[in-house]
Amino acid sequence: MQETARRFKFDTLLVHGGTTPGPAGATKVPIVQATAFAHETAEALEDIFRGRAVGQVYTRIGNPTTESLERRLTVIEDGIATIVTASGMAAITTAIMTIVRSGDEILSSSSVFGGTFSLFRDTLSNYGVTTRFVDPTDLTALSGAINGATRLIFIETIGNPKMDVPDVAAIASIARKHGIPLVVDATISTPYLARMKELGADIIIHSTSKYINGTANSIGGAIIDCGTFDWQSDKFPHFASFHRKYRNLAFTARSRKLIHKDFGACAAPMNSFLFAEGLETLALRMERHCANALKLAQFLAGHPKVSWVNYPGLTDSPFHEVAARQFDSRFGGILTFGLSNRESAFRLINSLQLAKNLANIGDTKTLVIHPASTICCDYTPEVKALMGVTEEMIRVSVGIEESSDIIEDFSEALDSL
Amino acid sequence: MQLTVNGKQTSIADQETLSVTSLLETLQVSQREYVTVELNGEILDRADFDGATVKSGDAVEFLYFMGGGAA
Repeated sequence: MQETARRFKFDTLLVHGGTTPGPAGATKVPIVQATAFAHETAEALEDIFRGRAVGQVYTRIGNPTTESLERRLTVIEDGIATIVTASGMAAITTAIMTIVRSGDEILSSSSVFGGTFSLFRDTLSNYGVTTRFVDPTDLTALSGAINGATRLIFIETIGNPKMDVPDVAAIASIARKHGIPLVVDATISTPYLARMKELGADIIIHSTSKYINGTANSIGGAIIDCGTFDWQSDKFPHFASFHRKYRNLAFTARSRKLIHKDFGACAAPMNSFLFAEGLETLALRMERHCANALKLAQFLAGHPKVSWVNYPGLTDSPFHEVAARQFDSRFGGILTFGLSNRESAFRLINSLQLAKNLANIGDTKTLVIHPASTICCDYTPEVKALMGVTEEMIRVSVGIEESSDIIEDFSEALDSL
Repeated sequence: MQLTVNGKQTSIADQETLSVTSLLETLQVSQREYVTVELNGEILDRADFDGATVKSGDAVEFLYFMGGGAA
């Protein structure tokens, strides 16, 4: 596996990295749609349960199709192990609950996805875990918010839907200085824009439902352990027995033996197969997503009825410089823009013919949503402001259709206002 | 050499000693990138697999975290 990683460049790794031949030379992993796995003897099953032998037991704990996807993601992200989960939120919950205990604090970007914000502020707070939300582009504020109870920093590589771009390497350096891990949700950037391990992330999260799947046919998530964080620390006494046995695999071991196993948010084997299919075309699709998003952003920025456009690929974006540097001048497929008010935003969405109005991103199809009235509707105006959500804002997940068709759809809808 | 591997008596022909890395290869231990090795009750650092040696009478345990069960 590691030989493959050394030999091939990223686009080739997407197709071949971590793959193993299937039965009869099949170039696809079989979909092992089974709940449990039989063994010849009581001793053989005991050895697996006691950790003396490798083998399958029960699909909640492990499954050959899912393990195949885990191997591939590990190679692609240059990690040491991966856990694939039932959803992106399951990946975040599993990763966070592996690290924190009651009384601990999370330092989170304030511009995280609404579901993540809700998990941190409204759910984990009921279990004694406090989250402090800070603007991730304000490194002084971020550094100043760390205290003795902080156990991790959580950021998104591109904030959804604020579209802010934190300097991941600078934040990794702050995390390292304070002896806490950096957990990075790289769903929007994908490993195509940057491999987060190279920028200093310790744990990488993906909602695989988005660009990794690519065609919006399954829900899933992944946690990649970069193996870079030293869990042997007074801050993490609950990792001591795992570190003693499993060393730099302590995070994955604790997660697999406790949190992932006990919470039970396992992937469906069929979905794991579909994510592996999606991975192979990730680079091709992302290239087109990025190109189309830039063209649409430039068109919207020049339109008299558009008040503002937020896309890190535009040279006047406050995040252009850091995004260009850390993403090698590729800026992703998501943008937001503003009209004069909420009514105009609704009328525009209702006039679009090609773009679908729905709560998702990362599909081949162009998608739009009005975040303030949908994915962020539960939040007060103050919280929406913190998350960068305004009433006149529309979020666009730019698809891989012919760019002129996308632009024409928005042009005609704008003309109708 | 006679070893106790995962609680079972195991013979390895024509060898007086072996590095842990060679032992993993000789016994064709699965998923070597994830296995933890305990030699006579002591957990070995992965970095020591090349340097640490086993000899007759040693007890070796291979441990995985993939199969579930308690830590």
